[in-house]
Amino acid sequence: MKPADIIKATIIISVIGFISAFSLSFMKKITQEPIAKQEQEKKLAALALVLPGYTVQQEKTVTIDNTSFTFWIATKEENRIIKKAWAFLAEKKGYGGPVQSIVGVDESNTILGFTILLQNETPGLGARCVEVASNETFIDHFITKNVTNKEEVSWFQEQFIGLNAGKPIAIQKKGDWHKEMKDGLIQQNAVTAITGATITTKAVTQSIEEGIQKLHKALTLQEVQ
Amino acid sequence: MDYFKEFIKGVWQKNPILVLGIGMCPTLAVTTSASNAIWMTIATTFVLLGSNILVSAIRSIVPTHVRIPIFITIIASFVIIVELTLKAFQPDVYKALGIFIPLIVVNCIILGRAEEFASKNSTIRSILDALGMGLGFGLTLFTLAVIREILGANKLFGYTLINGMKPAIIMILAPGAFFTLGLLLWAMNVIKARKSWFKRTE
Repeated sequence: MKPADIIKATIIISVIGFISAFSLSFMKKITQEPIAKQEQEKKLAALALVLPGYTVQQEKTVTIDNTSFTFWIATKEENRIIKKAWAFLAEKKGYGGPVQSIVGVDESNTILGFTILLQNETPGLGARCVEVASNETFIDHFITKNVTNKEEVSWFQEQFIGLNAGKPIAIQKKGDWHKEMKDGLIQQNAVTAITGATITTKAVTQSIEEGIQKLHKALTLQEVQ
Repeated sequence: MDYFKEFIKGVWQKNPILVLGIGMCPTLAVTTSASNAIWMTIATTFVLLGSNILVSAIRSIVPTHVRIPIFITIIASFVIIVELTLKAFQPDVYKALGIFIPLIVVNCIILGRAEEFASKNSTIRSILDALGMGLGFGLTLFTLAVIREILGANKLFGYTLINGMKPAIIMILAPGAFFTLGLLLWAMNVIKARKSWFKRTE
C-alpha cells in the first residue's frame, strides 16, 4: 500500500465519521426533549397509581449500602390529620434481567399500590406479571364492537395492594389470581405466583422486602440529619 | 421490467431469511407478536434503505480496503437515528423491541446488502434492492409472528382469539421460533422443488 492510499483512506474515514457524528448530535438534540418528557410522564403516572389520593411532595435519592435508593414522600389530609406515605423504587434480578417496580406504602407498611416499570421476562411466562387479563376477543373489538370495560392493572400487580410489606410476603401456588382469593391471601400476607414463573414472583416479593428495609434506613438517616 | 425484477427478487427468489439465510437473530427473537414483527420490519427497512442509498452514492470514492468500517459507521448512524426516534415518539414499541433495535447494526442483511449489492450498483437499483429485501424480510417475519402469536398466545395483534382457551406456550418461547422457521423453510423448499420439477417435465 502506498502512503498516498493510507492518507486518502484516513481522510475519507474521518470525513464520514465527522458527518455521522454531526448528524447524530443534531438528532439527539431533537429527540432529547420528547424522551425526557416521556420518562417524566411515565414516572408521574406510576406515582399516581401507587399513591392513590396522595400528593407527592418531594423526590429523594440517598446512598444506602453503597447503592443509590430513590424514594418519594407524599402526604394526604384526612379529617384534618396529615397522613404520610412513601413510594420507593424496588429492583431485583428476575429471570431475564432486573425487574424494577415502584411500591407505595403508608405509615403502617401497608402496600397502597404497586406497579412494574421495567421487566424483560419470558413472554408468556414471567412477562405475564404486567399482562392485563383481557377477555376482549378479536371479534368483539372489530365486528361487534362490544368493548368490555378494561382493567388497567394486571392481576399480578393488583394482588399486592393491601399486603403488609413490613412482614415477609409468602408465595403460594394457586394459579391465576381472581377476586375471590383476595381476602384469604391478605390474611396470610401472601401472593399467588405466576404459573411457570416463580422466579419472577420471588424477585418481586424480595425486591419489596429489601426496598422497605432500605426505606426505613433512609428515613431514620433523614431524621438524624 | 428489469427494475421490477431487482425489487421483487428479495421477496421470493433471494428472500433474505429463507434463501440467503441472513438476519436470523432478530427473526427468531422478535416474532412473538405480529405488531413487533411489523415494527421491526419498519426499523430494519429504514436502516437498510438509508445505508443502501449512502453506500451506493459514495461507492466510487470509498477505498476498498477500508470499506467495512465506513459501511458500519453509516449503518450505526442510521440505527441510532431509529433508536432515538422510537424512544421519543413510540416508547411502547421501543420497550417491546428492546435490545433488538441497537442490534440492527449487526443484522447481516444490512451489511450483507451494502457489501454485496449497494457497493457495486447504482443508487436507484440499491433503493429497489433495499425495499425488496425489506419486504421479503417483513413478510417472513410477519408470517412467523402470526403463526407464533396465534398458537402460542391465543392472540392476534394483542386481541384474544378464542375466549378461555389455553395457548401452547412453547410456541411463544425460543423452541417455537425454531419449529416455525423450520416448517417455513421446508414449505418454501417443497414449493421450489415442485416448480423446477414441473419445468423439467414440460
